[in-house]
Amino acid sequence: MSLVGPSGSGKSSLLRAIIGLQKTLSGSVETGCAKADIGILFQDDALLPWRTARENVALGLGFHGMERARALDEAEAWLARLGLSGLSDRYPGRLSGGQRKRVALAQVLALKPKLLLMDEPFASLDAIVRARISQELVELVERERISVLHVTHDLEEAITLSDTVHLLSQGPRARITQHYPVPIPRPRELVRARMHPAFAPLLERLWRDLSREVAHNPRAEAA
Amino acid sequence: MLNPKRAWIRQLIALATFLALWEAAGRADLLNPLYMPMPSSIWDALVELFAGGRIWIHMEATFTAALAGLVIGIVVGIVLGVVAALIPVVAELLEPVMLLLNAVPRVILAPLFVIWLGIGLASKVALAFILVAVVIFFTVFTGIRQVDRRLVERIVTLGGGRSALLRHVYLPSVTAWVLGNLKVAVGFAFTGAVVGEFVAASRGLGYLLSFAQSTFNSALMMALVLLIMAVVLVIFGLASRLEKRLLRWN
Repeated sequence: MSLVGPSGSGKSSLLRAIIGLQKTLSGSVETGCAKADIGILFQDDALLPWRTARENVALGLGFHGMERARALDEAEAWLARLGLSGLSDRYPGRLSGGQRKRVALAQVLALKPKLLLMDEPFASLDAIVRARISQELVELVERERISVLHVTHDLEEAITLSDTVHLLSQGPRARITQHYPVPIPRPRELVRARMHPAFAPLLERLWRDLSREVAHNPRAEAA
Repeated sequence: MLNPKRAWIRQLIALATFLALWEAAGRADLLNPLYMPMPSSIWDALVELFAGGRIWIHMEATFTAALAGLVIGIVVGIVLGVVAALIPVVAELLEPVMLLLNAVPRVILAPLFVIWLGIGLASKVALAFILVAVVIFFTVFTGIRQVDRRLVERIVTLGGGRSALLRHVYLPSVTAWVLGNLKVAVGFAFTGAVVGEFVAASRGLGYLLSFAQSTFNSALMMALVLLIMAVVLVIFGLASRLEKRLLRWN
């Protein structure tokens, strides 16, 4: 599912609270799975610059108690799955933005998360690379049956990737105001999904409601 | 058009011309050899230093002092930097002292070290040490505080604990910063050793320098300056090879 909302509505903070990077002032987070089963993909790909792609991917496996040799093999397999075989001994500084993003993805997916949090992970990529990585991600998620919580500004991306889109109201004290089920069947091909008859009307509704949310509150202009 | 790859040839020609003019002016009695000895007499002085073999004992003294000060200074600088970055009360107490030491020219401590530690090796090591340690302290201290938050969060969300953070984020970062300042530290270490010897010593390149000064032997003085430059350049070379090796990911 996707979560969309105006800037400053606390989308990123929500993800950070779920993964435990941010303390909540009050209330608690219920996810129905252990913290070790949650993975998060940030907007930036913070790979360790002094470790190779493979070592970066193996890192999380090592933290979960896998021995080094096996972790490196497993990492290699994940890199190959994401189309990076042959690049696994490169340092992040020698990889392109799209390749780094794939390494970050492999790093998270290698831990077999049940819930994957995404904070606009593909925002910095160019359109073609972005479309390809998104498609691969959708296929992986559908096959491995991973739940995804995706926060984004991009309404089209929210619709094509998700089963449900939730609209977060203008902050402060933002809350979810609307749910929009997406009737496009799976497995999905993202390019085709845009041509599904349900796509355009849904996009229009979302756009209208989000604009109203922003217009509601003069503070939104500053954001 | 100037070909940048040939720059070294032009630089060499310029240097040769300069030396030739200098030598010619000397031979034409335009320069007083007492103040401005000719390049050839400087060269002779340099050759004589090595020919007698007495230079080695002095080189050894300076090297020992500089390298000992460098190593101790780096170790102590890192330890203090890490401790100060992690424990706020230590930072509170240490930072003003370090700021003061950083602000004043630390070589003014040389006479004090001689009184405390005598004219032997210890006072030179101490001076080299204090010069190096302050630089390394600030490198590590500010470095750890500015460590990339995103890397820290990444490690935490992948399931890494404190020891993982230390090993995978803090230690490599500290290594990178220290190596980045290694050349500065090497320069400081030799400054400390030579200045310490200059102030009071019985051997070392700095001691020879002060001996040359007191006997008004400017050819020897310039030969020594050249020698010290060469020595430091060699160490610089080694330091940058080490840097390249350890920072090959960069």
